[in-house]
Amino acid sequence: MNNAWLKYGLNFILIVLIQGLVINNIEIDEFLNPMLYPMLILMLPFELSVVATLIISFIIGISVDGFSNTFGLHASASMLIGYMRPTILKYIKPRDGYDTTLLPSIHDMGPAWFLGYSTLFLFIHHLWFFSFEILRFDLILLILAKTFFSLIFSLLLIILFQFIFYKASKK
Amino acid sequence: MRKLFKFLKKFRDFLLFFVLQIFVLGLFFNAKNYHRARLFNTSSELIGWFVEKKHNITKHFSLSEENKKLAEENARLKNMMPESFYQLQGDLYYVNDKLNKQQYENISAEVINETSTNRDNYFTINKGALGGIKKRMGVISKDGIVGFVVDVSDHLSLVKTILSENVNIPVKLKKNDEHWLLKWDGFSDEIAQVNGVNRDIDIAIGDTIITRGGTGMFPVGIPVGVVEELISVDGKQTWDVNIRLSVNFSAVNYVYVINNLFQQEQTELENRINNNE
Repeated sequence: MNNAWLKYGLNFILIVLIQGLVINNIEIDEFLNPMLYPMLILMLPFELSVVATLIISFIIGISVDGFSNTFGLHASASMLIGYMRPTILKYIKPRDGYDTTLLPSIHDMGPAWFLGYSTLFLFIHHLWFFSFEILRFDLILLILAKTFFSLIFSLLLIILFQFIFYKASKK
Repeated sequence: MRKLFKFLKKFRDFLLFFVLQIFVLGLFFNAKNYHRARLFNTSSELIGWFVEKKHNITKHFSLSEENKKLAEENARLKNMMPESFYQLQGDLYYVNDKLNKQQYENISAEVINETSTNRDNYFTINKGALGGIKKRMGVISKDGIVGFVVDVSDHLSLVKTILSENVNIPVKLKKNDEHWLLKWDGFSDEIAQVNGVNRDIDIAIGDTIITRGGTGMFPVGIPVGVVEELISVDGKQTWDVNIRLSVNFSAVNYVYVINNLFQQEQTELENRINNNE
């Protein structure tokens, strides 16, 4: 257990640095603002309490905020998915519950499950983020476009990282 | 009382979520609307350290281009030196000039981190409080206005660029001094806006827009851009004007921070008037 959290801590440092120093500096277009760090929240163990998830999401978000000069916006969006995650996981629970030795990764849960799961949370996260960033109702189409295009890029990045840094938990 | 505790326990999760949300959104709106950047940003010591390390690697990519720009600016400044002028009247030098007193001094700094595609865009520069930089100082590049300082640490500062919401820099038309506030609508990093321009004003495409001074943040006459487009809005008797900015925000590597030596005097004087009223 401790070993897993140590690994998670190293992952946290690595991913926040990659997000802050590399991905934030990819400025291809104003529609593309890919985010890798929500993966840290998606990859938390299955049966983690709401309070723990919230606090971890807050720390992750505020660290990314520091690197991107967004003053709490990333923290706000990641706390939203952190707050919703335990509830939504409860709704999509398999009949005999989650196997606690597994992680919600693409290797452990299968591509279809992981794709649906991460698309749902990334959509909530990005929509919240861009709505507050732009904060104008007459620009709803711009918000949706930014959400959509960034979501595709974030998803690609997350899947890429799954294959580089994670293995299946057991075989 | 017990009922209250039961209620609180039941809604503990939601309360924690709610309180943390209020906290972070409070930080966000404070920075956005009142330019009060607190807590974590790229000018803080820890994050700044990482950002500086990154910059030490990436700065070499644009070195030759940057050398060319600096050489051009050096040439322009050298043309203003006394040696470049042929003296018509012998040695007429005034060392202690009683007519002109320096009001603005420029502190040069290097941009170590920047964004230009977000709604609010910030630069991090490598000079801070120890380099004489304070909050709310203006920042320019060799081409024109860039933004103003919102946060400083010992060695770094954070600059809010004019590519942000609610910056409201006073600008004016060079040829007839009509003045407005500069805004940015968040779309292109080359175009900024001025709203509510009266239609009876003599304004045409290609006119130069410069800073107005007044707040003491910038001297009068720093270039802002040229008028690109006059847009008529339905039902309004005014133009909305698009301005093509003179600074290319995706290629700013060196900036000057403006220290207004009279700023304190101006602030004190203006506060005195406000207090009397």
